[in-house]
Amino acid sequence: MADPVALERLVRQVAGEVRLRRAEYYGLRGMFYGALAAVAFLALKAALGAAAPFLAVAAVLVGLAVGVGVGLGLATPRGDLARLADRACGLEDRVATALEWIGRPHRPPLVDALIQDAAERVERLRVQGLVGRRSPREARLLPVPILAALVLAVMPALTIPSGTLPGLSGAAEQQAEPERAQSTPVATEAQNKTEPVKPVGAIDERDIVRTSGTGRSEARDRPALFKDTALNGQRPDFNRFLQKGDDRLRLLDQTNKLPDLESDYTRTEYKTVARQANELATGRKPEQMSEDKLKDVLEQLRKMGEKSGAESEQLAEQGLRALREGQQEKALDKMNHALNAERQSDDNRKGALNLQGGRRGDTARQSPDGGESRQQAAVEQDEPGAAKGKLPGTGPGPQPKGDPTSRLNAQGVETSLEGDRKDGAKDSLDLNMYGSAASVPSRSQYVGAFEQYRKMMEDAIAREQVPRDYQTQVKEYFRALGER
Amino acid sequence: MVQDARVQRFVSSYEALRSEVRKVIVGHDDVIGSVLIGLFAGGHVLLEGAPGLGKTLLIRTLAEGLDLSFSRIQFTPDLMPADIVGTNIIVEDAEGRKYFEFQHGPIFAHILLADEVNRATPKTQSALLEGMQEGSVTVGGATRPLPAPFFVLATQNPIEMEGTYPLPEAQLDRFLFKARVRYPAIEELNAIIDRTTQSSHAEISRVIDGKAVLEFRELVREVPVADHVRDLVSLIVMATHPEWERAPEETRKFVRYGASPRGAQAMVLGAKVRALAEGRYNVSVDDIKALAASALRHRIILNFEGEAEGIDTDRIVGRVVESAEQTSVRAKEVFLR
Repeated sequence: MADPVALERLVRQVAGEVRLRRAEYYGLRGMFYGALAAVAFLALKAALGAAAPFLAVAAVLVGLAVGVGVGLGLATPRGDLARLADRACGLEDRVATALEWIGRPHRPPLVDALIQDAAERVERLRVQGLVGRRSPREARLLPVPILAALVLAVMPALTIPSGTLPGLSGAAEQQAEPERAQSTPVATEAQNKTEPVKPVGAIDERDIVRTSGTGRSEARDRPALFKDTALNGQRPDFNRFLQKGDDRLRLLDQTNKLPDLESDYTRTEYKTVARQANELATGRKPEQMSEDKLKDVLEQLRKMGEKSGAESEQLAEQGLRALREGQQEKALDKMNHALNAERQSDDNRKGALNLQGGRRGDTARQSPDGGESRQQAAVEQDEPGAAKGKLPGTGPGPQPKGDPTSRLNAQGVETSLEGDRKDGAKDSLDLNMYGSAASVPSRSQYVGAFEQYRKMMEDAIAREQVPRDYQTQVKEYFRALGER
Repeated sequence: MVQDARVQRFVSSYEALRSEVRKVIVGHDDVIGSVLIGLFAGGHVLLEGAPGLGKTLLIRTLAEGLDLSFSRIQFTPDLMPADIVGTNIIVEDAEGRKYFEFQHGPIFAHILLADEVNRATPKTQSALLEGMQEGSVTVGGATRPLPAPFFVLATQNPIEMEGTYPLPEAQLDRFLFKARVRYPAIEELNAIIDRTTQSSHAEISRVIDGKAVLEFRELVREVPVADHVRDLVSLIVMATHPEWERAPEETRKFVRYGASPRGAQAMVLGAKVRALAEGRYNVSVDDIKALAASALRHRIILNFEGEAEGIDTDRIVGRVVESAEQTSVRAKEVFLR
């Protein structure tokens, strides 16, 4: 049988090296934490007195000793040591396998050959420095506490600050004031007698008369009032702060002064239709509008008129009739009239139900002409036709030609408007607008690109590149784009 | 420094056979190694590579170096199972009596070259299953043993997928290794041109017979494996399974099904042969790492995401080995290193 002594000796040697490296590793760690304790001892030199340096040195030594002891005491499994030896010596797991199989009762003949082979290889090795040195993270940081400890050792003792929390009540402040005065060496005795503590913000003329750190009066130095020294002896008045909070809470009970949440965050049916109409009419000539959408809006207005009993029902009926006859311009005009009627009806309904809300009511009360304020509010809410006098040609306003539209950017003088009633069956006005063109981005690129992609879409559908289920959706998508 | 005479004989035979093969085949050392390891481990090897890279030539040369019977089957879509295993035919004797006689198919050979195995239908491919696993075939209710050693070397072309039938997982699992025959480097290409365009032909000697192969197969199984090496193999195989809690991210993301226990057996047996071939009496961690890709690449089934991303199973195996090594050996030696 082969002799495994060399293998055992190798493992013992590796174990010794591992213990040594671990002792170094944990010793450095222990020394670091000991040095931290030493810094603490030296920082408390004032309290500890002459014992502090001895305690600091002892902490470092104890940390080092404990770390070394832990490193020496940690056990390592024999298999791990054998594997480490294999790796370190390039033995390709020979030692670990041999030591593992050496104790097995039924082992194949090759195991003996393995043990002999491994032993001979180990004999030829010069085993030294198998385990590399590893330094812990604390080793890199070790100079910091050591230096700090040295600095603290040569410095005079540090003063220890008092760790009391400020009182929250005025009574507590008054009670604490004499203690603070006693502990402050620069405070004068006159100040202790005459100056009760004042809350922040309650500074009067007497506060100007303060004593400086040298004890000299500086009554003539008015800017000193605004220096930090003027507020140095005062503490925040938390009672006043709490009282202000209570006042704010009481304000919440006055519901009539709260914002009109109903008006802001609910959408009436009228507003929905008005928004659709606004989107339909913005920036288009009557013949460019979608007939279907116009019909939808008129239908909705007719139904609303039916419900509310307003004039809008008849106007919407007339608009629908005009649309059927192909008179889109007239239909659009009727739609606007119906919207006005519906808006009036909506306002009346809100007034009857007292739903106009505090903010709108407040605005009306504060403004001399409540109507105009309401018109302004309506403009803010994008209601078409709501702001008479604010748009050119829409009624009485501060300017005879109306306020300039936002699109023209307040250049009202360059815009003029005239209208002629058309003769014949048409019940409408021909409007001519004069003025310089607005600086808006051209739509020609968009139109060109849209036409190009629309043709590509038709081509793709014709070649059946678009799944059948999606063809309708694709067509609808392009149709919706084209109507804009 | 070899102590055991059997091991010494194995090493010399292995080196001799490899030298014979290398007389003809230029480069492809890893493929030659995989084929020889498969031969001595008692498994079968699948060679995958583009046409013209010398797969068939390698196998023919190996067969010439072994004193064993050799047969070649060119797999085609119309090949039938009976064309492989054989069939009973009616034979008339001298007295005019007729009787059934079993006509042996080409599978009854020591070394079987299944060329372009993925061109036959699954029915025909499966005719090899029993022979590869059990070393016998059943025809007409009678089980007939195949000659020992029985060694299947199959080739397949990974790029011509039209008209092919990919091998089913059960069939793939029967192959100990799957070796990838890669394109030669420019120096190797130059050597191939020189060797194949001149008049001289290399003479291949028969260096090993069937009995020696069987003895070596027994010897291989005696090689001891340490526990930590065996644990590493188990961890590698487990890490190919996406549902395993410690499987790496790549496995969870791209693998549908991991390697079977046959993968672990392939790694250990292959590692034993590799160790012996290097004159070593034990399996090392490096042996396992060197053979993991060959043993596992055909046993890992990618999921749809892996297929769609074009993930290479070798990449998965590499990550799996790295993960398993971190879990086992390195974790235990974290301070010792």
